Formats: sequence, structure tokens, C-alpha cells
Amino acid sequence: MLVLRLFGAGFSMSLRRSLAHRTNLTFDVLLAILTLISELAVVQLIFTRTDDLAGWNRAELLVLVGTFQLMAGIRTAFIEPNLSWFTDQVRNGKMDLYLIQPASSLFLASLSSHSPVALTRAVLGLAVIGGGIADHGKLPTIAGLLTWLLLLATGTVIMWSLGVLVSCLAFWAPRLELDILFSSALNLARYPVDIYSRPLRIVLTYLFPMAVVTTLPTTALLRGPTLVGTAAAIAAGAGIALLAIGAWSVGVRRYTGATS
Amino acid sequence: MTRTLALTRLEIWRQILTWSGSWWFVVTLAAQEAISPLLGLFIWTAVTPGEQVGTYYVALLAVLLATASYEAHTLSNGIYDGTISHELLKPRATWIAVAGENLAIRVWLILMGIPMLAVAIPAFGVTFTATNLLLAVPALGLAAILRFLFSWVLALSAFWTERAHATMGFGGVLIFLLGGSAAPVPFLPEPMRSIASALPFRAMLGFPAELATGTVAGADVVRGFAYQLGWIALFAILAVVFWRVGVRRYTSVGG
Repeated sequence: MLVLRLFGAGFSMSLRRSLAHRTNLTFDVLLAILTLISELAVVQLIFTRTDDLAGWNRAELLVLVGTFQLMAGIRTAFIEPNLSWFTDQVRNGKMDLYLIQPASSLFLASLSSHSPVALTRAVLGLAVIGGGIADHGKLPTIAGLLTWLLLLATGTVIMWSLGVLVSCLAFWAPRLELDILFSSALNLARYPVDIYSRPLRIVLTYLFPMAVVTTLPTTALLRGPTLVGTAAAIAAGAGIALLAIGAWSVGVRRYTGATS
Repeated sequence: MTRTLALTRLEIWRQILTWSGSWWFVVTLAAQEAISPLLGLFIWTAVTPGEQVGTYYVALLAVLLATASYEAHTLSNGIYDGTISHELLKPRATWIAVAGENLAIRVWLILMGIPMLAVAIPAFGVTFTATNLLLAVPALGLAAILRFLFSWVLALSAFWTERAHATMGFGGVLIFLLGGSAAPVPFLPEPMRSIASALPFRAMLGFPAELATGTVAGADVVRGFAYQLGWIALFAILAVVFWRVGVRRYTSVGG
């Protein structure tokens, strides 16, 4: 409960801070819109030359692009403001601040700051998903919709866990700066994993499971869920989350502060 | 002129040495530059197999690494945190420091990119002819100058707004969409193709990659070089004007 109250308070503070800077807000919203337009333009371009992208038609790809925007919005709003440049906090000792407060250090380091404006991207993503479903011409089933939501939650847990794991590297190798690489690698979820070559597809399904973030939820929503696929994704999400929590616990024990 | 060249050379060398301490960070920057062409390669290979897409996107990766510009971080952050004051006090033009860092990062990115290209060329069955590569070299040089000037102009928006990073984001989206990264410009439908060919974004990225691939010939080559030179002239004027006006607005932090 404490964690939920802290999460709510952090979000409220961040929201008020964002609304106070109107020009910045306008810039960020415009950038989110322009980014989405460019994404949609790419989809449009692809389907001027083909009717089928690795087994995906235009409407299905639109839903996938919308799902990616939704997930990217959630990540940028709730995860990225905390974990980006975490290595610096370990290097210069600011990590101390999380350890002396009466709440979970993992929560404070990974979920306490927010960027509510990024939710614009998530809302735009939902609109694109709606448009894609209308274009698809077939409404999703209740089971498909529920599985989609469950897989989106799993995808969010996976993005958070991978972010924590990448951050944990700072405890062992504080010179490593993988933030940019990690954020860029998430772009591999922008398109269905079916377009990639087999080795990369295997990596994106089992090792760096970006397939769970967009491809799998979209497939469940539009083509119906599969029990095995959904169960495997949830198991993978739980496994990675446990790994992240474990790595954090071990890492924090190695942390010595920068000034002591 | 000799003094400026000597100072620039020294600054590049100094920055190369400075960045050598962050080589791992440069690896991640190089990997970041690779994501967009990699996505383009997979998508367009799936859409149009056998249309030299692989060669184009591998060439585009080289162009991205050789023209990378991060002035939203180097120059804009210097304006925001006031550290540009140090440069303003030195008896040399400020652009030398910015261009020196830009070129040093590019040198490191190219070095990091060599193993990437060494893997990508055989992996995607890419072939280049010597003639096409020779033709692409001057275009790559002009693209490198143009992308730096474009980045410099956008980064100077830090004198007027706190959102220089978003301004650079707008520029980044336009380069991605119309520069030949989202799709090779010849793949765009008309009239978008003609518009994109005339805008500065293809001159920064797609044109040198198209020359290296050999998908542009005859009058289009001459037109491409003319566009590059024209845009360089325009952005050079904008860079000077924006700098002069902006630096007058500048008040250092803690002044």
C-alpha cells in the first residue's frame, strides 16, 4: 500500500510540474504527434508496395504500431525518468539518497519519478489501435481483449525488469553506459518479429523478449489468444522480474557510496 | 586561416583523446545509429526482395556513422549550464570547439563501425563497386558538413527555448522520414519523392548511400550534388546569423 501511495504522490507531483511549464508541454505533445505521423507514414509507404509484410496486413500492422506507441508511452512516462543514467547515480554516490529513505530502494530508484506528458504518446497509440481494429473489420473477442491486456501488463513488467537489470550492471561495471543502447534496442519491438531473420527472431522471443511487448499482444488481440503462448510469456515476465529483483538485492550489497 | 586549421586540428586531437575514456559509451552510440538502418533493411527486404536494399542500408549505416551530430547535447547543454562561457572567453572562434568534438566523435564512431560493417557486408551479401564508392566519397563529405550545420542551427534554439532537445527531435523525425532512413527516397510515391529529393534531408543521408549503391545516375547525380551545395550555403548563412543573434541573448548561469 505504501508503494502505491508513493507512486500516486510521485505521479501527482510530476503532473503538476509538467503543467506548470506550458511551452515545454506544447513542444513535447507536438513531438509525440509528429513521431506518430512519421510512424503511420512508414506503414502507409510499406503498403504502397505490398499487401503483406511477413504475414501482416495493413490493419494488423496499424494495431501493432499503436501497441508499440502505447507501450513506449508507458515506458517513457513511468520507467525511463527513473532508470535513465542510473550509472551516474552509482558513480557519484547519489544512490545514497534511495538507501536512507524509509521505502524500498528498488521502488525509489525505478518507479518514483514520472513524466506524465509521455502518456500523450500512449493515448495516441490507443487511437491508432482503435483505427487499426476498425480497418481490420472484425472486433476482437473478449478473450482476445483480456489476453491483450494481460500481455501488455507482462510486457510492461518485462521492460521494467530489463531496465533494472541494465541499471544493475552499474554495481559491477560503473563505466558501462548502456542506456542509449537499451532504449534503441527497444525499437526492435516497433515491427512484428516475423520480419527478422531467424537468429534475431529467436533472440527477440527468448533472450530479449521484445516479442512479448508488441507482437504477441497484437496477435492475441486480432487472431485470438493461445494458451501456451500466453502462459509462456507470463512465465518469462515473472522470471525476468524475479531475476531483476535478485540482481538489485545483490547489487545494492556491493554499493559502497562515493564519499564514504 | 592557417591558425584556424591548426587550432581545429588540435581540438579534434584533444577531443579524440578525451572521448577515448568513454569508448564504451561510443560503442552504444554506434549501436544506436545501427538500429534504424537495420530495421529499414529487414522491412524493405521483406517488401521488395532483390532490389539492392541490403547494399543501400549497409551504405546508409556508414553514412549515419560518418555524419552523426549530437550538438543538441554538446552545444545546447553548454548553453543551458553556462559552460559555453569558457569557450566564449577563449581567443578563438567558438565553432572550433563544437566542430572539433563533432569530428572526434565521428572518428570514434567510424572506428566502432568498421567491425559492424565487416559483419554486415558478408551477412547481407552486400557488394559495392569501386566507381560507386569513389563517387559517394565527395557526397559523404558534403553530407557530413550539411548535417553538422543543420544540427548546429537546431541546437542554437537553446538560446530561445528550454526545449532544444525537442527541436532536435523534430529535425530527427524529418531526417528519418524524408532522408532515406524510413525508406529509400526512390521508394517514396510521387509527389513525396520529388519533394524529399529537393529537401536537405536526402542530401544529409540518402544521397551518398544511393551513390554507393549505384541506384542514382546521370543528371540525378549532378542534381544531387547541386542540392547538397545549395543547402550547405543556406545552412551556413543560417548558422552564422543564428549564432550572432543568439549569443547576444545569452546570459551565463550565475552571472
